Amino acid sequence: MDFLYSYIILAEVYVLLGLSTNLLVGIAGIFSVSQAAVFGVGAYLVAHFLMTETLGFIPALVVAAAACIALNIVVTLPSLRVSGDYFVVTSFGIQLLATAVFTNWTNATGGANGLPGIPPPDLFGLPLESTGQLVILCSVAMAIGGLAFWLLMRAPFGRLLRAIREDELAVAAAGKNVLRAKVSAAALAGAFAGSAGGFYATFLSFVDPSSFDLDASILLLTMVVVGGARTLAGSILGPFLLLALPQVLTLVEIPTSIAAAMRQLIYGVLLILFMLFRPQGLAGEKL
Amino acid sequence: MVWLQLLVNGLVTGAALGVVAISFALIYATTKIFHVAHAGVYTLAGYLAWSLASRGMPDLVSLLVAILCCTVVGALIQHQLYARLERRRATHLVVLIASLGALAVIQNVIAATYSSNILQFPVPWGSRVETFGSVRLTWTQILTVVLSVAAYAGTMWFAHRTILGKQIRAVASNPFLAEITRLRPQRIYVIVVAIGSAIVALPGVLVPLDLGLQPYGGVTPLLTATIAMIAGGVGSITGAFVLAVGIAVLQNLSLLVIPGEWSIGVTFFIFVIFMLFRPTGLFAKAR
Repeated sequence: MDFLYSYIILAEVYVLLGLSTNLLVGIAGIFSVSQAAVFGVGAYLVAHFLMTETLGFIPALVVAAAACIALNIVVTLPSLRVSGDYFVVTSFGIQLLATAVFTNWTNATGGANGLPGIPPPDLFGLPLESTGQLVILCSVAMAIGGLAFWLLMRAPFGRLLRAIREDELAVAAAGKNVLRAKVSAAALAGAFAGSAGGFYATFLSFVDPSSFDLDASILLLTMVVVGGARTLAGSILGPFLLLALPQVLTLVEIPTSIAAAMRQLIYGVLLILFMLFRPQGLAGEKL
Repeated sequence: MVWLQLLVNGLVTGAALGVVAISFALIYATTKIFHVAHAGVYTLAGYLAWSLASRGMPDLVSLLVAILCCTVVGALIQHQLYARLERRRATHLVVLIASLGALAVIQNVIAATYSSNILQFPVPWGSRVETFGSVRLTWTQILTVVLSVAAYAGTMWFAHRTILGKQIRAVASNPFLAEITRLRPQRIYVIVVAIGSAIVALPGVLVPLDLGLQPYGGVTPLLTATIAMIAGGVGSITGAFVLAVGIAVLQNLSLLVIPGEWSIGVTFFIFVIFMLFRPTGLFAKAR
């Protein structure tokens, strides 16, 4: 039962991340491989606040989300001003830089060994320790995230983003500020990813750089691509399916030394196949 | 005289990096595809040469076979992946995701075959040292500089003096007009990606002679090379090469004040400066 619970919790955290990636890649049409870096910043920040007992869980989550919003604005503003391809370079750069920081800033992040012993989340001083309580907490978070995403897509802002994806020039000609809309979408994606980081860190009670590297970003992209871009159903389906994949792989006899490489290999193959034959994913819209 | 040695090391690394940059610039300027999988081709070259060399093949044969294989892989990626996507009128974003998928596939096939540990080349002559005044250079470094400058000169000659080179530049500057003059852009694209992959195989083999091989080691050089290409001005081969040397020199000199694990930060800082003050690059032609 605990195993099922932890699968659900992890999947729900990844749904939040999937919503974030979907907002950025699917809806705003900005290619990004730095989602895991933002996720990591959120996770390390929440871990830091809880371990030093400076803030409770909810305030820490808010601070982490705010920091990730600021990070995404600072990162996207200069490069998107120039061209979409420059942001590809930026996002690779941010991802590699973040991995360097997580690995080498040993005093704050514990380096490659990671930070163990992160306390469980609390609700205004009331600690949530059992896995059952955590499932409820993460489900509520996922529901709030999903609702926010759904409402946003129905709002004028969502329509503006869809319009930009269809024809950027026409939107600009209609007097809308394209750059501002894209940067706002990136900022929102930062808020989702940052708070997902907080849930991740407190649930696992351990963070290390390998959870937030380029491979993790590729996994996030695969989740959105497989589930389907631009829909709530797609963002939920993707993480639940892809997190089950490692369990399926354990049924096949693969030496553990290459298991990680095989997993990443499958993600790569999925990315290529879906782009070639089903760019809308299982439950999404045209990418 | 530490700084002099670092300066020379920077020039050596920069020459190799410059070749990565011109190969990417050639592909990007012509096909307009941000060919992320190029990092995989770069890595693949080193592993192929390593396999052959460690089975007792002569070093030169290993290098040539690696170049040949990379040419084929590059042509396949363009012909089987990018061209198919183009026929389906895929968006830029879809092509980028597919390219990232191809990168993940190449890297993880390598990781699954060779394990992700660092491999060293079995070349005893490579570490022999020549001393010039207070500067020490290994034979590998001397070879790297000689072959890289030759590759740069060869590419310049090819692009400006041969019929095929002129055809490529014609397609790069205007594919529609080129098509009217009975050039077939899709065919040229296959040729360009094949040539770019052949060129990148050279540093792909030379750099690991000194530093060793790692399955995920291609991303950072490619990122630095794309930054050099953008800073040099997209479309300028000389710009890409010169800026790559410049960035590598700065990176090496920065070792005097900043520890090596942060060098990705130095590279990225250079990129941000360019993006803010000179986004069209130093060598860009007037538009």
